[in-house]
Amino acid sequence: MTQVLLGLFSGIAFGFVIQRIGATDPDRMARAHLMVEPQIPQFMMLAVAFSALGLAGLQAVGVGRTVILPTSLVATGTAAVLFGIGWGLCGYCPGTCWAAAGEGRLDAVFALLGGLAGTAVFAHFHERIIPALYLPTNKGPLTLTDWVGNRFAAACLLAAAFAAAAWVIGRVWKAEDDDA
Amino acid sequence: MEKKSMIRNATVEETARTWPVLPAALALAGIIVFIFATFGPPASSSGFVSLLKGFLGPILPDYIARKEHYRIIPGPGSWLFAFVLGMAAGGYLGGLTLGKPIRNVPAIWERRFGARPALRYAASFLGGFLILFGARLAGGCTLGLFISGSAQLAVSGLYFGAVIFAVAMITSRLVYGSPKGGKK
Repeated sequence: MTQVLLGLFSGIAFGFVIQRIGATDPDRMARAHLMVEPQIPQFMMLAVAFSALGLAGLQAVGVGRTVILPTSLVATGTAAVLFGIGWGLCGYCPGTCWAAAGEGRLDAVFALLGGLAGTAVFAHFHERIIPALYLPTNKGPLTLTDWVGNRFAAACLLAAAFAAAAWVIGRVWKAEDDDA
Repeated sequence: MEKKSMIRNATVEETARTWPVLPAALALAGIIVFIFATFGPPASSSGFVSLLKGFLGPILPDYIARKEHYRIIPGPGSWLFAFVLGMAAGGYLGGLTLGKPIRNVPAIWERRFGARPALRYAASFLGGFLILFGARLAGGCTLGLFISGSAQLAVSGLYFGAVIFAVAMITSRLVYGSPKGGKK
């Protein structure tokens, strides 16, 4: 029960914040993807940078649980291509469509229903797809720590790279008015 | 012309009421770290599996018991489903307090394809299908793999993130034409 309440509380806070930055608005998401509005991708990059540092802090005091998903060159890559097409088409992610549906957006409700259909189809073919696509090129749960050597240094490096990405997005993404 | 400036004014007003990037990113990171501390890596796409498991469980108990994908994810009485349900409530509260009229068809879509809700709903359904099929294949979505994974320094999260951004940007160009989104 505690876990359900924690999940509910975390979801409400998460949904509220992403609504406030505009990530539940497919119009703004499309403008972000079209490189005319930098706020959403900058927000995502900085959120990852701060989370990586915060998580490094948690781990330093031995709190929390982590799960490193494996990298499968073919499956992770194919999945990302399908995901990218869907994201570009509807402007919703599996999380934002819940918040956007709650906000009252009817197209988000359709994205949610499509998501349930996609989940059902994948779950049905899981036993055939995973051995065919996922397992042959599964490189295991790789992390940057494997390359950098030190977990804290790797977290700082990643945070710096994501902060730099947010800065570059601010320089490259141009508002529509600047085009003339 | 008048319509165009109205759209622009609406955008400026909306941007003024939404949060600036830096405090919003700090707030979200605070929530993410809280989730790592109290649950584990945050995830949204698993909530879809939980919900389906809850739906199908009473109707097709043998099917659910036999299928690996439903075996590895808990049912709706779990953190995973509570989280996405909370997301909907958070979005509702956000929309309520922002006081901005909600569009069922985004303005940029309407400028490109006209005010045909059925087309937008069909495209949203297809988009939703693809994001969830992809997320379940990869083992996570924007949050569950890109954000959670990258925060944990996982190569899978960084790889997934780079490809989803690149492909979504190309897809948006194809869907909306130019960066001006068909606003000519």
